[in-house]
Order: sequence, then C-alpha cells, then structure tokens
Amino acid sequence: MNELYRAIQSNKDLKNKIKLIGIGSGNSDFEVNFFRKKYEIPFPLFSDEDYSIHKTLGEVRTPYFIGVRLKSDGSSEVFYSKRGGFKDANKFLKMMVKLSGL
Amino acid sequence: MTRKNHIWMVGLLVIFVWIVAAYAQSPGFKENIYPVGKLKPRDSVLKVKVGDLAPDFTLPAVRGGEITLSQYRGRKNVVISFVPAAWTPVCSDQWPGYNIAKEYFDQSNAILLGITVDNIPTLYAWTNQMCMGGGTLWFPVLSDFYPHGAVAKKFGILRSDGVAERALFVIDKKGIIRYIDVHDINTRPRLEVLVGELQKLEK
Repeated sequence: MNELYRAIQSNKDLKNKIKLIGIGSGNSDFEVNFFRKKYEIPFPLFSDEDYSIHKTLGEVRTPYFIGVRLKSDGSSEVFYSKRGGFKDANKFLKMMVKLSGL
Repeated sequence: MTRKNHIWMVGLLVIFVWIVAAYAQSPGFKENIYPVGKLKPRDSVLKVKVGDLAPDFTLPAVRGGEITLSQYRGRKNVVISFVPAAWTPVCSDQWPGYNIAKEYFDQSNAILLGITVDNIPTLYAWTNQMCMGGGTLWFPVLSDFYPHGAVAKKFGILRSDGVAERALFVIDKKGIIRYIDVHDINTRPRLEVLVGELQKLEK
C-alpha cells in the first residue's frame, strides 16, 4: 500500500488527483495508530471499530478495494469494487486510471 | 479527464478496506476460514480468579517439545491466550494481531502462550498461514488436545461443545493471575486493554 501511495505521489499528473485512504475493519483507534506507526503508513487511516463502515459497504471480505470517481458537482460514482490485494502497485495504479477514465 | 453533461471528474478516491491483523497473512488464508456463525457469548464457569496462583500445566508446542507454565516463574510475565478453534473467523485475526504487536509484550518482559484444543497438525497448518513469506509466530502455540481441553477445564473455560472460550489470562512472574478476560466468543479483545494490563506488571 505504501508503494501505491508513493507511485501516486511521484506522478505529477496523478498526485493531486488521486487520494488514498484506509479503513481498519473492526479495529480500534489504538490498533490503527499502532499499525500506522509500525508500518509507517503515509496516507490517512480510519478505524471502523463497530464495523459500521464495513456493514455499509456490504460486509466485504478483506482486503478490499473501492475506486470512486469524484465529480465537479460534488457527486461520486464507484467504478471499482473488488476483493483482493495486488502484487505490483504500478500495474494496479495504471488499471485504476484506465478503468476510471481519469 | 472525461466530461459528461458539463460535470467533470475532478479526481479519484481509492479506499482500502482491511483488518490490521490481516496485513501480513498468507493471501489464501481467509479463503479457508470456516464460518461458525454467532455463538453463545460465554458457556463455562471460571475456576480461577485474580489473585490466585495460576494452575500449572505442561502442553506440547507446535514447534516441538513441551512448555510448562511454571518454567517462566521468576523470569517472565505470561499472557495466556485461549482461542476456541483453528480455522475460525475471530481467532484467525486475534493471534496475527499479537504477532505484529510483539514489542508491547517485550516492553513488559512478557511471553505469550497461545492455546487451543486443536491437535498439533491442525495448529501447524493454521499458524503457518498467519505469516506471509514462510515466517512463524514469535510466541509458542500449545495444543490442549489430549486429554481433551484438560488445561482449559482447569481454568474453567471449556465450553459445553468442547472448545475453549476466547480468554486472556495475565500472570505475573510469581505465577499469580493479575487479569482475566473471558471474552464474548464472537468478538476480538481490544489490543489496548491487554497492553494496559501488561503495563501494570513489574518487569
């Protein structure tokens, strides 16, 4: 995930257009903060201690990625919603850009 | 950038949903977890209390040999984490969480002993999947399989269906029980509560 963040930040065309956030399903603030420090996570992480976000998302099995298009009128649209991680952050980023039409 | 009906796409948000403990697990691990559904939160009667000398026991360890609780007497504080069963949902997040939080145990000069009523081959397969890249858990995992659940029974946490409760016992260097949490079997104990209890102990 840190690699994905760095791939976004090092691309001048993408760094101000793609935001990455993490949601710790069933984790407390303490657990998420511990994780953030231990793995030096540079992007925002949120705890979802009571699984409320997890339930809203349809109780997805983790790890899970959701890609959202943010529009000029303030609306948003999900273009990617899939379980599973990735091995190559650059390939994943390219796929997200292609699928979103950014 | 695409344009539709004068509405522009201004950017993307990528949301990564995960569980802290699952970060370093083998990719296929979650595929093999058996869904147990919601269980009776607690189904046993404790036989020990805070301030008691912890009942001694000797159990076989997944990595070979045997471990006796009293071997840590005068040397280390001990956390015993009983979990109900291998390959079940909450248990499969709890120990990987402790695995990445080793420093909290070290800071309190504590060892963690993980115990289930499963046999050694099952525990071997299950715990091997908790660490990506062939790593192993830093703490001993013990099998309370035969006589079935005998140690869980000594502590009073063997459920009527033969699995252990999800229970934590913090035992100081003198062998005295300092904290007990027989947790709702359906939920994972919070790391910060255990860390708080560890910090109360003399190193």
